Amino acid sequence: MAVTTLEKLDGTTNAGNLPWYLKDLYKYLGGFAVITVIYVGLRLYQGAYAVATGLDSTLPEYDAYWMRLFYGELITLMSFTAGLWSYLWFTRDRNPAALTPKAELRRHFALTMWISIYTFAVYWAGSYFAEQDNSWHQVVIRDTPFTANHIVVFYFSFPFYIMMGGSAWLYARTRLPTFAQGISLPLTLAVFGPFMILVSVGFNEWGHTFWFREEFFAAPIHWGFVIGGWFALAVGGILLQEVARMTELLDKLEDAS
Amino acid sequence: MTTNPAELAAQPYSGEKARLSRHFDYLILVLAFFLYIGSFHLNVALTVGDWDFWLDWKDRQWWPLITPLMMITFPAAVQSLLWERFRLPMGATLCMCCLLIGSWITRVFAYHYWNYFPINMVLPATMLPSALVLDVILMLTNSMTFTAIFGSAAFALLFYPSNWPMFGMFHVPVEYGGAQLTIADLFGFQYIRAGMPEYLRIIERGTLRTYGQYATPLASFFSALLCTLMYTLWWHLGKWFATVRYLKKI
Repeated sequence: MAVTTLEKLDGTTNAGNLPWYLKDLYKYLGGFAVITVIYVGLRLYQGAYAVATGLDSTLPEYDAYWMRLFYGELITLMSFTAGLWSYLWFTRDRNPAALTPKAELRRHFALTMWISIYTFAVYWAGSYFAEQDNSWHQVVIRDTPFTANHIVVFYFSFPFYIMMGGSAWLYARTRLPTFAQGISLPLTLAVFGPFMILVSVGFNEWGHTFWFREEFFAAPIHWGFVIGGWFALAVGGILLQEVARMTELLDKLEDAS
Repeated sequence: MTTNPAELAAQPYSGEKARLSRHFDYLILVLAFFLYIGSFHLNVALTVGDWDFWLDWKDRQWWPLITPLMMITFPAAVQSLLWERFRLPMGATLCMCCLLIGSWITRVFAYHYWNYFPINMVLPATMLPSALVLDVILMLTNSMTFTAIFGSAAFALLFYPSNWPMFGMFHVPVEYGGAQLTIADLFGFQYIRAGMPEYLRIIERGTLRTYGQYATPLASFFSALLCTLMYTLWWHLGKWFATVRYLKKI
C-alpha cells in the first residue's frame, strides 16, 4: 500500500497490530537475527576448518579456506557499506522541520534500534571474537597478520560495527531535526571512537612483528583497542539527548488511552 | 486540580504515553546489555585479561591488586550516568552482570569447545558481590565521595573472599617431578599455551612473597587505595562521555 504524504508526516502507519511508534520492530528483530546467523556461521566455519587448514599461512589450503574468506568479506562489506550509506543519504528527509511529533517520536525509536543493532555488532567484535583471539593464539604461533581468527575479528567484525555505527549516525543526521540542526557530540564520539579500534589494528600488528611469539593480552600494544572502547560510554549522552527531545514531543501529544 | 508547578511536573504518564515510555525502556535495556558486554569486556580483557583467563595466573600478589582496579572503571562511569541522571542504583551491578555473561560465553565456546582448554582452567573471577555493595553504598549515601572512599574500598577488599570458594581448591600444593607446585601451576604446565612462555606469567614477583600469608591482604588493601582514585577518575570520565553537547562542525 502506498504511503501518503500525510501519513508519512503523521508517522501513524504501522505494521500489523504494533503501536505506531514500533513500526520498525520487525526490521529491528530481523537485524538481530541476520547478525546472529552471520556470526554463528563464522564461528562454525572456524570450528570446522581452523585446526585442519588454518595453522600455517604458507600452505595452499590456507589460501583456499582463509584468504578467500578474507577477500569475500572485504567485497561484501564494501558493497554493503556503500549501498547502505548511499541509501540513507539519498532518501534523506529534505524538510525534517515539518515532521509531526508522532513521526519524530517514531524516528527516535528507529534511531534507538539502529544504535541497539550497532551495540549488538560491538558485542560480537569487542567481547566474543576479541577474547577468542587470545584462545587461538595459544594454539597457533602467528606467521601472518591474517590468522584464522583475525580474518573474522579484525577484518570483518570491526568494519561491520563501523558500518552499523555510521548508519546510525547518518540516520540521525538526515532524519531527526535535533540531530540535523547540530552535530551531536556524544553520537559522534560513540561512532568515531570505536572506529579508531580498527585503526589500532595497525599498531597491534606492527608491535607483534617484535613479539610474534607472545600473546600477553594486557600488553601496552593492545591499549589502543582499550581506549577506543571507552568511547562507547558516549552512548549515554545520546540517550540523554533523545530523552530530552522525546519528553518535549510527548508533551505536544494529546493524551490517549 | 493542582496549581503547584512542582506537582504538575511530577505527574507520571498514563495511557499511550506510559506504554510508549515503557517500550522505550525495553529498547534501552537491550541496547545497554550488548553495549556494556562489548565495551566493558574488551576493556577488562585487554588490561587484566590474562589474570582472569588462566587459573595459574590467579596469584596472591597481582590478581587481587589489578582485577578490582581495572574492573571498577566502567561501573563508576555507568553509575555516574544512571544514578545522577536517572536515579537508578544499578550501574555497577549491570556492568558486572554484562561482563560475566560475556566472559562465560567466550570461555565456554572459544576456549573450551574450540581449543579444548578445561573449563576449570579458564573460569572467570566474579566481582558481583563487590558491585552489589558498591551500588548499595551509592544508593544509601547518595554521595560520590563516600562511595569513592568506602564503596571502592569494599569493592576491592571483597574480591578475594568472594572468589576464594571457587579458586581455593586449585591452590592446594602438590609434589610433581620433585618440585612443589599448586594444582593451578600443574594445569598451566599440562595444557601448553603456544603464545605464553613461562617468563610471561606475571605472578608472585619480588620480595612481597616472603611476607607469606600477609601478601594477599596487603595486595587487597593497596587495591582498595588505588580503587578509590580510579573510581573518582572514572566517575568524571563517565560524566564527560555522557555529554549532551551539539557541535557546529567536526
